[in-house]
Amino acid sequence: MRTTSMPQYSRLKTCGVQKQGSDHRLVSGVLEDELYAMQCEIRVNWPELKIESIKTRMKRFTTDRCLLAQDFFQNCVGWSINAELDGKIKKEIGRNGCRHMAILMVDCLHSLVRAELARELKEALSSNPQVDKKQLLDDFLKRNPDLKSYLRIN
Amino acid sequence: MILDFQLHNLTVVEELESGLWRITLKAEDSLFCATVILEVKAPALDIRFAKLEVTRDVFGLVPELAEAEKKLIGVRVGPGMTKIVREIVGGANGSDRIAELLLEAMEMLVNAITVPELRKATELGGTKPETHGDDSVTELNDRVIGLEMIRKLAANPRLKDSCAAFKGLD
Repeated sequence: MRTTSMPQYSRLKTCGVQKQGSDHRLVSGVLEDELYAMQCEIRVNWPELKIESIKTRMKRFTTDRCLLAQDFFQNCVGWSINAELDGKIKKEIGRNGCRHMAILMVDCLHSLVRAELARELKEALSSNPQVDKKQLLDDFLKRNPDLKSYLRIN
Repeated sequence: MILDFQLHNLTVVEELESGLWRITLKAEDSLFCATVILEVKAPALDIRFAKLEVTRDVFGLVPELAEAEKKLIGVRVGPGMTKIVREIVGGANGSDRIAELLLEAMEMLVNAITVPELRKATELGGTKPETHGDDSVTELNDRVIGLEMIRKLAANPRLKDSCAAFKGLD
């Protein structure tokens, strides 16, 4: 698949998750491409699965009106992580505000939930390297039924 | 506090030859790693080549996707692609995650095609912004698309009302 052409466009997104005490999770995200650069930090109460606060920065944008989007980013405070969340973010943050910030927020919140599962798996593997991963996943989803359709693990 | 989970997602769009685009998207986290490669041909923007490679699947949930790769040939980047891609790649016997990565790769082609248009709009209708946001010292946005050009761009139905910049202009 080697090519001799130069990239026309590229987009990089990264998300990092921290556990802050037993009842808070923090996810920070960065999105950057030729046109846009966005940052966000989202604090979520766990296990209530509610967004407690968000800090955003529209670092690079394209039009003189893009910063109007900032008025909508705080609207997600109080929203729950469940099957409807992606659509809500895309509609209420994306269409009213900025689609690129909305995309980053969606990735951040999926990362936050996957991090929870990864953390549980890592702990289980440390005591039992032969742990039944599918059973662990089933148990995780039973304990967090709202995440079943949200996690999109497959 | 130390991070205990990271996601890295990189999409690169190249024009292999005039009108033939390759999109390569790689997404990697602690549980999953996949690369999606598509080749898409203008003017129809139909998929001519698709490769879906999963290199980490900690829970072993993603099925073989060779059939899906074949069915993607001919699918067009444009209206209706979400439903079609989810039907081909997602669902109980497929991979919803790969379907979303594929759709993202297809959307990034649209972004890539848009870049020269926005560059032209900035050159023709660019203005020094009135506000720079919180980072005014370094002025990353020294020149942005001004109101007159925003109105012209908003005439495109794909952009009209698509975000804060293109809303409320009537």
